[in-house]
Amino acid sequence: MASRRRMLLKVIILGDSGVGKTSLMNQYVNRKFSNQYKATIGADFLTKEIQFEDRLFTLQIWDTAGQERFQSLGVAFYRGADCCVLVHDVNVMKSFESLSNWREEFLIQASPSDPENFPFVVLGNKIDVDGGNSRVVSEKKAKAWCASKGNIPYFETSAKEGFNVEAAFECIAKNALKNEPEEEMYIPDTIDVARERQQKSSGCEC
Amino acid sequence: MDETEIHDLADDADYAAASQQGSSIMSGNDTSNQNNPIDPENAETVYMKDHVTIHPSQYATVRISGRLKLIKQDSLLFMSWMPYTGQTSNARLSDRDKNLYTIRAVSFADIRSIRRHTPAIGWQYVIVVLSSGLAYPPLYFYNGGLREFIATIKQHVFIARSAEDANVFLVNNFQDPLQRILSSMELPRALSSSSFTDSPFSDNQERLEDGGSRHKRDISIQVLEKFSLVTRFARETTSQLFRENLFDDIGTNENKKNNQERPHEIASNEAPIPSDPFELDKTSLVWGKPRQPPLGHEEWATFLDSEGRVEDLNALKKRIFYGGVEHSIRKEIWPILLGYYAYDSTYIERQHFMAVKKSEYEIIRNQWQSISPEQAKRFSKFRDRKSLIEKDVVRTDRSHPFYEGDENPNVDLLHNILVTYSFYNFDLGYCQGMSDLLSPILFIMEDESESFWCFVSLMERLGPNFNRDQNGMHSQLFALSKLVELLDSPLHSYFKQKDCLNCFFCFRWILIQFKRQAKTFSYNTKEFEYDKLLRLWEVLWTHYPSEHLHLYMCIAILKRNRAKIMGEKMGFDTLLQYINELSGQIEVDGVLREAEALCVCAGENGVAAIPPGTPPSLPVEDESIYQHDDEVL
Ligand SMILES: Nc1nc2c(ncn2[C@@H]2O[C@H](COP(=O)(O)OP(=O)(O)O)[C@@H](O)[C@H]2O)c(=O)[nH]1
Ligand SMILES: [Mg+2]
Repeated sequence: MASRRRMLLKVIILGDSGVGKTSLMNQYVNRKFSNQYKATIGADFLTKEIQFEDRLFTLQIWDTAGQERFQSLGVAFYRGADCCVLVHDVNVMKSFESLSNWREEFLIQASPSDPENFPFVVLGNKIDVDGGNSRVVSEKKAKAWCASKGNIPYFETSAKEGFNVEAAFECIAKNALKNEPEEEMYIPDTIDVARERQQKSSGCEC
Repeated sequence: MDETEIHDLADDADYAAASQQGSSIMSGNDTSNQNNPIDPENAETVYMKDHVTIHPSQYATVRISGRLKLIKQDSLLFMSWMPYTGQTSNARLSDRDKNLYTIRAVSFADIRSIRRHTPAIGWQYVIVVLSSGLAYPPLYFYNGGLREFIATIKQHVFIARSAEDANVFLVNNFQDPLQRILSSMELPRALSSSSFTDSPFSDNQERLEDGGSRHKRDISIQVLEKFSLVTRFARETTSQLFRENLFDDIGTNENKKNNQERPHEIASNEAPIPSDPFELDKTSLVWGKPRQPPLGHEEWATFLDSEGRVEDLNALKKRIFYGGVEHSIRKEIWPILLGYYAYDSTYIERQHFMAVKKSEYEIIRNQWQSISPEQAKRFSKFRDRKSLIEKDVVRTDRSHPFYEGDENPNVDLLHNILVTYSFYNFDLGYCQGMSDLLSPILFIMEDESESFWCFVSLMERLGPNFNRDQNGMHSQLFALSKLVELLDSPLHSYFKQKDCLNCFFCFRWILIQFKRQAKTFSYNTKEFEYDKLLRLWEVLWTHYPSEHLHLYMCIAILKRNRAKIMGEKMGFDTLLQYINELSGQIEVDGVLREAEALCVCAGENGVAAIPPGTPPSLPVEDESIYQHDDEVL
């Protein structure tokens, strides 16, 4: 029965305002995109049940306001996070340049026990815009940054078209799971098998 | 009625001890009431008196008699008063009316004080005041037994006589100044009828009254007005008169449903939910004043002198507080309410002012509209601000007809006003949430410059919500947790236990004044309920009973949901989600009434819980600023 017990995995999505955090979360959880999301005020989260082999997990995805001035509130929300997703808009250079800042801020506020190895995932969103013509952050550039920060997995997504969103979140979930302390795992072997399989299908670089 | 003479209670304990073996002690076996938290197995009735009666109105024919009991269970003492059933002596009272007054085992932990009245003529009675400040109507001891009642209580709980009034017995924390005030508060005899004074039906009501006790009634009215209290009985009646149920929305219905289900919910839980000291629905007899119809065009004219000055701003604010204003005159009243137009300005002065302000607005707007693309390239702060605003206006109220559709010019107006504001107040700049505050203003004012200046006035109050260091928000959340402590200590303990005392779950409510009516993530968002929001805002802007009524509103909403919150053992996460999803269902009128009642009951203690300078209060200014202002004048 223990293997049926659901475990909560907490994921925080960060990034500048307007990069598509709310849209990505909704695309993943509800498989829908709307142009009418309101700017996120305060914080919100959505949950999704996911399964790895015979184990069920609840993925709790936290969406927060993107403006710097709300960062001081982060402490309350970042606590106990298992994975942090950093999002930028590939069409807006500044949103990419902010990633370092978001990462630092998260590590300070969440103060995870092992900051060196805390799992991050980076998403370059809105690749659909203008057929890619207005793009200013190249895949190469983004990947280089990710490599410099300890091989952070990188995905290019479109929340609007649902492109790569599922794969990205699978990787996010897997990394969150990895962050959970060993003793809470049930039959670690089974998990490893699951992890290897997912790795192949998702193309996740972790 | 020889017992009615005034006794010194020094010997009460002896009296009670002597009668300990007497007839008043019997084992409780009251199964008639399912809501009773008393477990009949463990309970012991330590006092029982028949024909203890309440007088819900002044009609001699309207009397509800019942049985008063003190029940001991474990180490706790409870008081109950159950009206007799089946012997309705008059047609005026339905069983429902009786039920309203039923006291179902109130714990002495929730009682603040008991005031004994031993008039020379007439029956003795007591008024029981709860820790929340609510009071039950006077209980008249038709068959005597008041002294025995007090003496029995004395045996089981710690009570002390008030220093101010020997007839007031303080239960529990008798050092508390709030309690001192409330315990000396005397609820009038004519609780229900006098509460109609403000309603349009007061004339009828007076005709029905026998004029004999007019003077007494006036005092009653004063007391009621002072505390803005209306009995539950009156609330029921007024709501019938006002056909309030017409205005009910899902929120109320849900709420009613919840209330009905509550006993069941509690039963299914191992740990009972601590009772709300301010329970407004079940046992309480206190309620905010009934809402009035909105201020209409004709009535508005009566507030103005011949040249258009508002003659009595406070009277106007009070009127708006209790009913809001009709949509057609919002455009005229909002600028005055927000302080953009001086209330004592004339029609002509306002027209002139409007023109002056229009050109002032255009000058500021031109400051950024004249920035060339070349210049903008080297002005990242401007670009970032502008793009943040562009992103937000396209996701602000787009389901409302005023803002819907592609290339809606009103969306551009929102943009222009916000960018202009970020130049007008460059230090504060633009912050998310501002577009939410502006959109209803533009919808009402329609004019760009007028909307801008109204927004400026609103930001004078709410600007600190958006401070870089977030101190405005932090101080409001702090004040909120203090108010929870004052007005619902069990809930406060619960939040403490769940690590929720930061009250972050109310962040959105406070930042944008309950703006988000629709669920954030709902796809088929129902039509934006602007009208309710507009009503709420104009009521809050009056600052009538308090500048911080919005905080009392938070408390009122939390109280409405406390059984669910505690019953389902919500933690930080679930509570936040629950609150976020609730915002579409806030029933404005009901919550406002409760907020008012809470605000009035909290009184000075409520004021003390809110640190000076907490928004929307103006920041605590140093004198130099005042002097500077004077020089300008
Ligand atoms: N074309 C396109 N637009 C997107 C995409 N993701 C989000 N958006 C739009 O970008 C704006 C901001 O999105 P939102 O999810 O609210 O961003 P957040 O502030 O990071 O939560 C909205 O107008 C969205 O419709 C995407 O993948 N492609
Ligand atoms: Mg968002």
